Amino acid sequence: MSTHPAVAPQRPVPAPLEEPPIYREDLTLTKVTEDILAPVFAKPTRQWWTAFLIAASCFAIGVAAVVYQLIVGMGIIGIQWPVMWGTYIANFVFWIGIGHAGTLISAILFLFRQRWRTAINRSAEAMTIFAVMVAGMFPLLHVGRTVIAYWLFPYPNQRHLWVNFRSPLIWDVFAVSTYATISILFWYGGMLPDLATVRDRIAKSGFWKKFYGVISLGWKGHAKDWHHYEVAYAMLAAIATPLVLSVHSNVSTDFATATAPGWHSTIFPPYFVAGAIFSGFAMVVTLLVIVRYVFRLEDYLTIDHMEMMNKVILVTSMMVGYAYFTELFTAWYTSNVYEQYRFYGVHFDPHFWLLFRGPNAVPAYLMWGCNVFIPALFWFRKIRRSIPVMFILTLFVSVGMWFERYTIIVDSQMRQYLPSSWGSYRPTRWDYAVLLGSFGMFFSLFLLFCRFVPVVAVAEVKQALRRQVGEPPAPKPAMEEVNA
Amino acid sequence: MPKAKTPPQPVVVGVYLDPHALVHAAESARDRGFRGLDAIVPYPVHGISEALNYKPSWMPRITKSFFFAGAAAGFTFEAWSMAVAWPINISGKPFVSVPAFIPVTFECGILCAGVATFAAVLMAARLRPRPNFVPIDPRFTNDRFALLIPYGEEGPAPAQSFLAGTGALEVYEIAS
Repeated sequence: MSTHPAVAPQRPVPAPLEEPPIYREDLTLTKVTEDILAPVFAKPTRQWWTAFLIAASCFAIGVAAVVYQLIVGMGIIGIQWPVMWGTYIANFVFWIGIGHAGTLISAILFLFRQRWRTAINRSAEAMTIFAVMVAGMFPLLHVGRTVIAYWLFPYPNQRHLWVNFRSPLIWDVFAVSTYATISILFWYGGMLPDLATVRDRIAKSGFWKKFYGVISLGWKGHAKDWHHYEVAYAMLAAIATPLVLSVHSNVSTDFATATAPGWHSTIFPPYFVAGAIFSGFAMVVTLLVIVRYVFRLEDYLTIDHMEMMNKVILVTSMMVGYAYFTELFTAWYTSNVYEQYRFYGVHFDPHFWLLFRGPNAVPAYLMWGCNVFIPALFWFRKIRRSIPVMFILTLFVSVGMWFERYTIIVDSQMRQYLPSSWGSYRPTRWDYAVLLGSFGMFFSLFLLFCRFVPVVAVAEVKQALRRQVGEPPAPKPAMEEVNA
Repeated sequence: MPKAKTPPQPVVVGVYLDPHALVHAAESARDRGFRGLDAIVPYPVHGISEALNYKPSWMPRITKSFFFAGAAAGFTFEAWSMAVAWPINISGKPFVSVPAFIPVTFECGILCAGVATFAAVLMAARLRPRPNFVPIDPRFTNDRFALLIPYGEEGPAPAQSFLAGTGALEVYEIAS
């Protein structure tokens, strides 16, 4: 009747790419749950309290400085004409950049099916949210009259005025607030099954059982729930990917659409995004080195994971190095004297003793050294896989990236077109206090996060583990006997 | 507010240690004609949706439609506020400056799509704060996989014998 063979020929299945194992083979589901949830159930250790007290003290110093600034006004911080964007804006750009690694890991690596992300995505996403919270405060402080910062949003008002949607500053308002919202939803949504796992491990009823019952939203884990959940997760990843690329592109247009020499450049969006991922990954590595040590999670945050992240740091380091080089090339090739003067000043101004007091080349040297030359050590496998070395190198990257922001923002304003617009800038102790406070806030929030929710995505690790060890051979179904 | 409650339907629960056995059992149960099958798993198990005959999720449609709705609303609002409500000449730029409106348009679309998708998950999985939540079995969020077969007047016996024959470690019935 049919020319087809009785058994349809199987389509050849392409062999999957060889993927190195990402977790130890002998991990069981039960052990995964126990290991990762252990810090949630354990009493906080002395190390945790020490770290938390230090971070909270730094935060308190920052809060005090902010309160003082709100009382007496903007005069206490270092901005003065022509440098009207000072460390607050540098901090804003720096912290927004730190946040980008989390979304990259959770969304972009998810779309690329990089399963090693399952170990790090939860903590990286948490880092994103805290970094964006920290970053979001700086524009509010920077506007000076913080009580009316809500004027940044378009809302019906008695003056019938609307915000200027042609301004990159307004793009920023929308980009950063959208980014914060979507990051929180993505993080919280991804955490629901794990919060349910915590809830179901609490034996005695009481406050904590109720607490996790509330925040896990009654997740039951029905197949139908997972069915929608997985697709929704992929959808959120799909929209978070262009979002994260847009956020720092928008931030970069704050500068790139202005005409100041050193700012007015079309390379800024990709340059800023690469720098954001670079600094963010460095911060993730710094934090995870501590987390895996303090919470004994070496089986999950393995040395292979750390090496993968160091490879990303190496690649993005080369991208920012390329962008730095492009600045040099542009200054030389365009024969634009203003651009050349700015570049020369930023890179060769010999008044080194003027660091944080006036124009000099130290920030640029720190930027090149910490962002281009020092991360190049990650070309060596031994260095990529050494925990103490990577810890120190990533700290250098954080320092270097802060100085990159400082160089771009402050140094360009000190060297504008007319000599009458040349000036100097000197951050005050209040600038430093707020910077310290921003780190304090970030680390305080991160330490609290480590205490109350699983720092590794339990359900995702289980899924990745199952894929890695492969499905065990299917048990012979009893159907034949039943049918017989 | 009193809610119209559907009477809880009794189910037979088969507990498995291995997701593969669960999927296999679900397929067999479907083929045997059991209705209203459900499974509870600690992580998304590949193949269970097909075994339980789920249609493809409608989430992508939510995301897509809310993205375009949000983007359209964002652009319309920008154009209205800049060109209709109070047109202001800002450095000679057109009132409707399309390229300059794109970033906010895009962000509005993303915001609507993301919030709507999240809300859709909450609705689809009927998630809300439940301080007094009692799970069917706490192991189902840890390391055990369950297949749930509801039964009616015929009693739990057929489902029990079926589940026992599919390699379930435990079989028990619960009233709801």
